[in-house]
Amino acid sequence: MAREQRIEVTVNGRRYEKTVPVRLSLADFIRDHLDLTGTHLGCEHGVCGACTVMLDGRTARSCLTLAVQADGAEIVTIEGLRSEDGKRHIVQDAFFENFALQCGYCTPGMLMTTIELLQDTPNPSEAEIREALSGNLCRCSGYQAIIKAVQVAAEKMQK
Amino acid sequence: MSDTRFVNQRAVGTSVLPDEAIPLVEGDGRFLNDIKLAGMYHVAFLRSQHAHARILSIDTSKAKTLSGVIKVITGKDILGKVEPFRSMPNRFSGGESVQHWLAVEKVRFCGEAICAVVAEDRATAEDAVELIEVEYDPLPAVTDPREGEKDDAPRVHDTVTNNYLIKREYQRGEPAKAFADAHLVIKRQFRIHRKQALCLEGRGVVAAWREGSFPLTLWISHQLPYVVRHYIALHLGLAENDVRIIAPHTGGGFGQKASIYPEEFLCAHLALTLRRPVKWVEDRFENMVASTHARDQYIEVEVAFDKDGRILALGSDIWVDVGAYSTYLWSAGMEPLQTGGLMPGPYKVPAMRYRTRGVATNKTPVGPYRAVGRPSASASLELVLDEAARKLSIDPAELRMRNLIPMEAMPYRNANNLVHDNVNYVPCLKLASAKAGYEKLRAEQKELLSQGKMRGIGISCFAELTGLGTTTAVGPGTLLQPGRDAVTLRLETTGVLTIAAALPSQGQRIMTAMRQVACDELGIKLEDITSMSNDTSMAPYGFGTFASRTAVFGSGAVIQAAKELRRRILALGAFLLEVPVEQLTIANSEIQTLDRSKSLSLRAMAERSFFTAKGIPDELNKGFEVTSFYDPKHGSFAGGAHIVAVDIDTDTGQVSITRYIAAEDIGTIINPAVVEGQIIGGIAQGVGEALMEELIYDEEGQPRTVTLADYLIPSAIDIPNVELHHASTPSHALGGFKGCGEGSIIGAVGAIACAVVDAMSRRGGDLHEFPATPERVLRGLGVVT
Repeated sequence: MAREQRIEVTVNGRRYEKTVPVRLSLADFIRDHLDLTGTHLGCEHGVCGACTVMLDGRTARSCLTLAVQADGAEIVTIEGLRSEDGKRHIVQDAFFENFALQCGYCTPGMLMTTIELLQDTPNPSEAEIREALSGNLCRCSGYQAIIKAVQVAAEKMQK
Repeated sequence: MSDTRFVNQRAVGTSVLPDEAIPLVEGDGRFLNDIKLAGMYHVAFLRSQHAHARILSIDTSKAKTLSGVIKVITGKDILGKVEPFRSMPNRFSGGESVQHWLAVEKVRFCGEAICAVVAEDRATAEDAVELIEVEYDPLPAVTDPREGEKDDAPRVHDTVTNNYLIKREYQRGEPAKAFADAHLVIKRQFRIHRKQALCLEGRGVVAAWREGSFPLTLWISHQLPYVVRHYIALHLGLAENDVRIIAPHTGGGFGQKASIYPEEFLCAHLALTLRRPVKWVEDRFENMVASTHARDQYIEVEVAFDKDGRILALGSDIWVDVGAYSTYLWSAGMEPLQTGGLMPGPYKVPAMRYRTRGVATNKTPVGPYRAVGRPSASASLELVLDEAARKLSIDPAELRMRNLIPMEAMPYRNANNLVHDNVNYVPCLKLASAKAGYEKLRAEQKELLSQGKMRGIGISCFAELTGLGTTTAVGPGTLLQPGRDAVTLRLETTGVLTIAAALPSQGQRIMTAMRQVACDELGIKLEDITSMSNDTSMAPYGFGTFASRTAVFGSGAVIQAAKELRRRILALGAFLLEVPVEQLTIANSEIQTLDRSKSLSLRAMAERSFFTAKGIPDELNKGFEVTSFYDPKHGSFAGGAHIVAVDIDTDTGQVSITRYIAAEDIGTIINPAVVEGQIIGGIAQGVGEALMEELIYDEEGQPRTVTLADYLIPSAIDIPNVELHHASTPSHALGGFKGCGEGSIIGAVGAIACAVVDAMSRRGGDLHEFPATPERVLRGLGVVT
């Protein structure tokens, strides 16, 4: 089997063509080959959710996805959440304004999962939020401020 | 000079939005692993697969020939070139451990580093690690402290008899007499297993040779930059001013990043010898086996009571499995000494005795972690209080009320020789009870019990000694008295203020807190104040962030420095505005007369003082940069009371928390939203500690929990909504501040443990071993054996 393979991906609206080792994870590709270091690695086992990115509109664990699997895909990372004029995404603002991050290491994954949740369920209950975020571990906050931020973001997005 | 301040709203006490969080929420944080330097090599470690073994041979020849490999080194290669870690001297030391950066002759725990591979990229370095062949001669492993202390047990270190790295006996008052005369004596056993801080980001380092102005620059995911600088110089034979330490954005610390470890120091050595930048980032497996663990205590506690439930004496026997080496800097004394010494918590204890031991085992070393010793100490005592309450037919809340140190008794010296002052233990319990609707909660419990459901209610009152000054050692028994810290305030020529300190934040928003304090003290607008807290090349000396001290020290030093800076600003302002200094104040980043008829912006003053200083008398223009060291001398007790209701599923043994009420006294609050995050975050780790988190080892010392799939930490569905209330009273420290980073985990473990046992006791069950996993709960109920 070839040790390397050529892939084409679109990340945060920009198209890349790269030759990558077939064993390279999508997370390492994004971080080390594209220098988009906003995506974090917390466990490399698909448990903690810190590495969550958007892959063709759905969340994906970039630590468990191989870069070659993303060939042809459209990817959004935390760096791609701001609008072109630099304004933060509603969910980013809600996290900031509600003190929903401390060390900030889990934040990129939390933002992605929240965005997906609010796409699917625009007005989630607290239980639904907790369930949706249960695959994203945060060691600092005790989640309470995060839940609040998601609720605020949900309200703002409906306006 | 006037001290009047026309500040419309004080910044202290306001939930100021933390600018320092913006890069993190926008994806521009710069964590250790995000740093990339030209020509940077990557390091991977070969780690021991045995808990205890003699190393017969190491064959690195295949690894060295792999393409892309730069260097492979073993422990022998650096013998005599770097100083290994010897146990920090401790008055209660049983014997010394010597930890080589790479194992020499013997390995003493699974995960101990044996070889380091330097390669062009991490994947190649890891490939090379796989090619190294080590021949081991396995030795019998010590895996239990009560076995390990026996005379015939194998020794982890030849020089440490009975494997005692720490041993202390303490007595004060007349406990023997109190136990003999007591109306009631309760004895209980308490066992809590191993856990770890589990920072979401592991440790890591980038070490660079001649990067910028310093021979050696280290970016390190760490809580104590200056301490790292001191010891790296000492161990590598450098001068301190050859070294610059930067703590980049750090993904959690919780004490785990407050110790000194071999891997980072070895990387510094490699950077110096290879004259190239090298990077090592801990992966999760490494973090599970090679970063310090915590807790792991066996506690036998006995308490003597009078007929009214008042504590007469407290005795305990403690065994802590402290792992293979004395954790560098803090020694092996952290858990053993603090568990024994701090057990009285907020309760009046007239007499006490304890015997505590830190026993070396063939496991990962135990080091500092959030609220060292106290969660176990507190939970074991709280469970005794509950049992006494049942025996004496006194309500558990009432029994605690009778034993808490009341404000009117303060200053109060307890039997552990610590002085309690200015702390609202009683009001916290009253507030928590009122907000919980305690009596209603008990009535509901009764109703549920009658329906066959298992509801338990637990109460825990706790004390946390924070912001320790020079009179109290943070590491008991050691010479470490990190009771001073400094900030530099510098008014830049554009009139903005820079606060520099070596007090890095792992999410505590220290920079925001210091900005808020400076804003109030100096009348400078928040947006005109920046802060940097992570770089030894910018900051004055400081010990760093640990032991719930940083806000106390940073803020106190800001207050002190601001006093002098304010004096200098007003003196020059008086000269430039030609008004007496008594008529001036600073507000909204301007020097103003009290009647606001004249003003001068700080920018105009600062520009004038630097660029067009002609005509300004020298004594008025000494520079607008002030460094001040702050030592609060004593510590400040923070405290609180937590009340928890749990339901236990009688079929599965699963514990779920249905209510969580916390009332805390953390002194004057700087930023309420930040503080709330600290407290609730601590409670969440306490939920993990009480119910879920356990590092499991088998009898041969093999770790069984090496991924996040094996080691469970609480997710959003495991943590209740916390109802948090404050009953604050200011401390003696400047600003009235107390620390708040750790206390809540103490309350959480105690209250949850009590709630679980309360529920189980209604069915004739009991629990002495934590975390209270479903299996243990079912066993405690006699449902399974």
